[in-house]
Amino acid sequence: MRGITICAATLLAAVPVAAEEHVVRMAGQQYAPAAIEAFKGDSIRFVNDDETAHNVYVPTVGFGLDLGKQEPGEEQTMILGQRGAFEVECVLHPHMLLAVTVE
Amino acid sequence: MRTIARLTLGAAGTGALLWLASAALAGPEQVGYPDRYATGFVRYLTVDRPDRNVVRFFYVNPEALETATPGEDLPYGTVLVMEDHKARMVTSEQAVRDAQGRLIPTDEVTNVFVMEKREGFGEEYPPEKRNAEWEYAWFLPDGSRKADAEFDGCFACHLNRAGRDFTFTFYKYVLDEKG
Repeated sequence: MRGITICAATLLAAVPVAAEEHVVRMAGQQYAPAAIEAFKGDSIRFVNDDETAHNVYVPTVGFGLDLGKQEPGEEQTMILGQRGAFEVECVLHPHMLLAVTVE
Repeated sequence: MRTIARLTLGAAGTGALLWLASAALAGPEQVGYPDRYATGFVRYLTVDRPDRNVVRFFYVNPEALETATPGEDLPYGTVLVMEDHKARMVTSEQAVRDAQGRLIPTDEVTNVFVMEKREGFGEEYPPEKRNAEWEYAWFLPDGSRKADAEFDGCFACHLNRAGRDFTFTFYKYVLDEKG
């Protein structure tokens, strides 16, 4: 029985896990959800379902990124290529915050 | 009557001169090109700008970095530089990415943006524009000023970071690193 358990665990560890796409919406000038826990290789799709433009911006050292102005209806994707924690802001609306942790 | 007219014109002329003098104290000309930024400043952040295929290097003068206090307005004499580098490209539209998915900067610099804080800067601006005591300047890689530069966008965008002393990155950097 012990041997079977070890074997199953080994098999599970060997199965590649598909990268996940996390969706963040912006309606009401809020990032929703406001926090994401992800794995390296995942991505975040920012959907501007608000009535005003937004601009995804990451000022954290090692993760700095500016996706540019995003008009209502537009989408932008961020690839999570490295482990760590960073904060996402909106250039235009300083109260919009999103915390991202990548493992 | 002629005397009164002369007096009136004289007062108006003096006012105009005073206005011109105060206006001359505002504007990008107040900010000089920081010659030694690439070697004498501290590079504290790199930001990818994929929609423009640009990598931005952020620098601060070491005196400001040393004296800046987390959560407090930045010291007079703070000079921040944002230097735009062209990203390395695969094709004219597709940029090269490193193993972490980040853009790779080339040595080709396209623009050098500077913001500087000095006591008295900005006093001439209306409240709806003023960024406390900060001024902005835009230089080309050879150190010359960009002739047709507009700065209303700088003031408008940075205004919404009043709670961070009008900076998008350095105030937060001090908070993260020293706080």
